[in-house]
Amino acid sequence: MRRGLLIAGRLILAGIFLYAGYAKLREPWLQFAVSIETFKIVPEAMLEPMARIVPWVEVVAGLGLLVSFTARWAALLTTLMLGAFVGAGAWAYAKGTDVDCGCFGSGQREGLGFKWFAEDGAMLLLALAVTVGAFMMARQRRASRIADIA
Amino acid sequence: MRSLPFLLPALLLSLAGQTLSAQTAAPVRKVADTKAAPAMVKNFKLSGSPTAKVQIEIYTDYECPACRDLYMNTIPSLNKEYVQTGKVRLLHRDFPLQQHKYTRLATRYANAAGQMGKYDLVVNQLFQSQPEWSQNGNIDAALAKVVPPADLAKIRELATGPDTKIDEGVLADVAMGNTDGLRQTPTIVILAKGKRDVISGAVPFSILKSYLDKKLAE
Repeated sequence: MRRGLLIAGRLILAGIFLYAGYAKLREPWLQFAVSIETFKIVPEAMLEPMARIVPWVEVVAGLGLLVSFTARWAALLTTLMLGAFVGAGAWAYAKGTDVDCGCFGSGQREGLGFKWFAEDGAMLLLALAVTVGAFMMARQRRASRIADIA
Repeated sequence: MRSLPFLLPALLLSLAGQTLSAQTAAPVRKVADTKAAPAMVKNFKLSGSPTAKVQIEIYTDYECPACRDLYMNTIPSLNKEYVQTGKVRLLHRDFPLQQHKYTRLATRYANAAGQMGKYDLVVNQLFQSQPEWSQNGNIDAALAKVVPPADLAKIRELATGPDTKIDEGVLADVAMGNTDGLRQTPTIVILAKGKRDVISGAVPFSILKSYLDKKLAE
């Protein structure tokens, strides 16, 4: 049951990250750079490198979640990314910035509000739960292997 | 307690699933392979060399604050470094939004000014004074600061008159905007090698420059 839930959580998270990365990669990098810029957090010199790298990191994280061996590290990566993203959103919201998140491609310009935080908060909690679950599962597997050897 | 990490995903499955389906349902910006802008364009909206390797089309609404931001902060540098040097051809397209009360009138003033050879002057002043006239619709007062009274009278006559020819270019721009899949203003379209890259939002000049330099080097 636990294992099934963990696999389901991994698949959902992988789907979210693979789609998010794909949606950004099919557009010119300039579009995502503009989206990042609306948060007014990242220095201009970093916009292009981030716009080029982040979508690939999302794809790698998504693929990593699909493979048991790398799943926990990929889940940790998604948690960190979502944590940074929600943190950036909270910062922008506190400053009253009009943000285009660019999360799943361009043009979804929506004000930061309850819906945005509910969706992204839910994804963050999911990533956190999958990360904890994946690490616990790996620890249990290791413990049972040691017991078998003993 | 130990099952908490496993129960949480279950509770969140439906919510996250809904999020994903909502996001996937949203249309994604396309990058169309259209060779040239087919829509009719008035010449006064074009600047730069006809042989430029790259053409940039800028869709704006005169009452949109982000368009003002683009015009005040990005366009002057773009003009100086790329348009006046012949590297880029610039085309201004009108995309008046329904929710803005005075934008259609402002658009008519700009196009009327174009027919009088005062397009750039009036467009700049419309964006510059946007916080004032967007409150009360007094475009005349805003333009009176930079346009001589006689010229302003002619522009006003054209802009507020019954002649609908002045709207033809605007309608063509809107149609082209819809073809480009516009969902917000400002939006810029970068045309290079027959490809239209549609970028929405107020693009800071520094990253636009980096993008253009790579396009020009291709």
